[in-house]
Amino acid sequence: MTVNDKDIAISDKGAKILEYLESGKWPSHVTEIKKTKYPIRAYSSGLAIGETQWYGGSAKIRYVYTGFIARRTKDGKDSELHFRIYHPSGQFYRTEMLRKILDFSDEYGLGLIEVIGQTGGMIISMNPERADEAIDAIRNLGTDVGDTGDTYRDFASCVGPALCEYSLYDTLQARDHYMTYEPIYNNLSNQLFPFKVKLKFSGCPMDCARASHRADFGFIGTWEGSPDVDWGLLQDKIRKDDLKIERLIKECPSGAISENRESGGIKIDSEKCKKSMNCIRYAFPAIKPGKNRKVALLAGGNIKGRFGPKMGKPVSILDDYAQAKEFIMKIISIWEDGSPHKDRIGDMLFKSGFSKTVEAVSSSLPTEIEGHPTGQQRIIASAVLTDEEREGYSKWVDNIVKEYGE
Amino acid sequence: MSTNLSERMKKRLPVPYTDSLPEEIKSNLGKWADRKFHGGGIIEHISEKGDHLFTIKVGSPPNARFSSNTLRVFADIEDKFGIGTLRFTRSGNVEFISDSLEKSLLIKNEIEKMGFHAGGWRNSLWSIGSCTAYLSCTTAVADSSSITKVLYDQFGKYFTDEESIPAKLRISVAGCPTACGGLTSDIVVVGHYGDAPSFDPQKIGLCLPRSAKALEVAVPEVVMVCPMKCISAFKKDDDTVGIQINREKCIACGRCKDVCDYITFDTTKIGISILVGGKSSNTGRGQNLAMVLIPWIPISPPNYREVVAVLQKIIDMWKGNAVAGERLADYVRRIGLREFQKALDIPVTRWNNTEFVSSEFGIRQFPVR
Repeated sequence: MTVNDKDIAISDKGAKILEYLESGKWPSHVTEIKKTKYPIRAYSSGLAIGETQWYGGSAKIRYVYTGFIARRTKDGKDSELHFRIYHPSGQFYRTEMLRKILDFSDEYGLGLIEVIGQTGGMIISMNPERADEAIDAIRNLGTDVGDTGDTYRDFASCVGPALCEYSLYDTLQARDHYMTYEPIYNNLSNQLFPFKVKLKFSGCPMDCARASHRADFGFIGTWEGSPDVDWGLLQDKIRKDDLKIERLIKECPSGAISENRESGGIKIDSEKCKKSMNCIRYAFPAIKPGKNRKVALLAGGNIKGRFGPKMGKPVSILDDYAQAKEFIMKIISIWEDGSPHKDRIGDMLFKSGFSKTVEAVSSSLPTEIEGHPTGQQRIIASAVLTDEEREGYSKWVDNIVKEYGE
Repeated sequence: MSTNLSERMKKRLPVPYTDSLPEEIKSNLGKWADRKFHGGGIIEHISEKGDHLFTIKVGSPPNARFSSNTLRVFADIEDKFGIGTLRFTRSGNVEFISDSLEKSLLIKNEIEKMGFHAGGWRNSLWSIGSCTAYLSCTTAVADSSSITKVLYDQFGKYFTDEESIPAKLRISVAGCPTACGGLTSDIVVVGHYGDAPSFDPQKIGLCLPRSAKALEVAVPEVVMVCPMKCISAFKKDDDTVGIQINREKCIACGRCKDVCDYITFDTTKIGISILVGGKSSNTGRGQNLAMVLIPWIPISPPNYREVVAVLQKIIDMWKGNAVAGERLADYVRRIGLREFQKALDIPVTRWNNTEFVSSEFGIRQFPVR
């Protein structure tokens, strides 16, 4: 086959695959893409060859260091550049604003939009030649490019108080608060870290923003004690047969609910409650999250880190989301100083010892987390003591000696 | 054109968020008191002031890719029947917002005429998250967007409640082991090479320092990023730098490929792994990362019949055995991954094995016979 024949074969095979992907009941990405100026040839030949056709490209936009990514195809025929645009917290768009963004995308770009990327931003495919002027155009719309590279990414929050009755703190305000917090805001343009930093804010333990897994610092709304029960309303629900006490008891994953005829049906053991939201979702609004609202702070979660995916670990229960600022900045400065490129904060904590590192800088936080004592202690049957420690043990043993007489 | 270009370094953020909210939501911020599910993707939000808002959740094309034309029609529909505000959810669905059930049903009707579907609440498929893959990614192994398309074609029936499932279901599809789709979904599909890499001997130099002298002071990035330390750099006779790959130790994570385009893999061995048991919500048995059910199955684009069949099998098994309201992740945790693998007769190798652990010593470490 000549080079030309080979190209034709790939293009035919690609066209067939695209045709297949346009069939079927679900709306097709290919159909959407075909309505735009995106170089579909790059996608179809990728599918035909069975390999992505994109290589990292390069682009320079004056005074813009984060927020855009350039690609070129392996054969050099196509290039692509896309912007990552900051969403407003909650990702609400008045249609008027949305239309402006769509016009922007048609004027300066390819008319193709990924409404929300896995990183959290809105991704707009651009015309590389007009990227520079596009920056000013998007800034004039009141938002900007960002969310790429080794810096603070687009923070994320769940819908929070805007539409959700479970929201235990204002997650949208919290996101705004941290995005505009000066040490963070000032560095949105600078790629100065070993890898990316993400903060995510979830309003309740259901964690819709995935703060425990996909954020270096995750904030999850919670409460202290047991859920708040409106006994009158609960009785009503039981009487109307809207709610079955047996189901409430049986389905509680924490085993915290038991029957109690005196108080009106049930008793919730606050020590056992794991905040699974099961009874709350079943009996809302008769059972609501407790009144003593808090924000749980987790650190070290990520998907993409040197040592693989990790869930965030518990740091502190905050009275207010703003309390974590000092802690976050201290952890970031330790990470920045000592970690190799592509190590996430979770990797650093993993290597240096989570509790050791967190304890050293957590003086600004209200509570420290008590874990369970491990059943298997690290055993060193000898010790090098300080004078103070020696004194402590001597005092203790003196008491024992006294108790049993000389 | 701004007069001072360096101003661009000060990002212009869309804050405060209240600027993007319609009056109907702004006046009810934090005052929502209850919700009602009307089926078919429609939820009624009731505020303590007595206001009602309805959200209609609409599934996106794979990778949440829309043309500006389609979104413009969405905006027209929202202006006609809604309160003039659209929302993009974190899972990539689009929510229309309206102030009455009748208008919500009209919106639903309009988007269905366009070929879109509303649904994805309560005991249904909420979304299939997909990364970008061949559309613009440099590290993608399998094309997650087209896998997502065929999965949606097959399992869209669970999104629209045409067929019922025991509880909420979330699926995510990622094109490479970086797993940008996330690992806290009930089912996670991850494309990978299934083999150790080699490299393009001509071009690999572009990822390495020019002179071997550099090795005395620094480790090349492509060597440094390997979590298994199976790539090493050495000085060649002509004083340039070469690399060596220890294929035995490799886990095919592709991080070397992340930082260097000239690391190459044998594409005939590409497959996908399937993980189950991930969950990002604290309900049931709590939050958890997904575990490897099957480390590799072959894929055959464009219909990906293997992936579709295996996922249908997993869902059927869950449907047949779960307690009402029990998510797939909770079901897998309840019976244990090993039992799940046994029930499906999946070969267990070192890649999807689960280790036995014991906190006891002596004879108590052995299973009870």
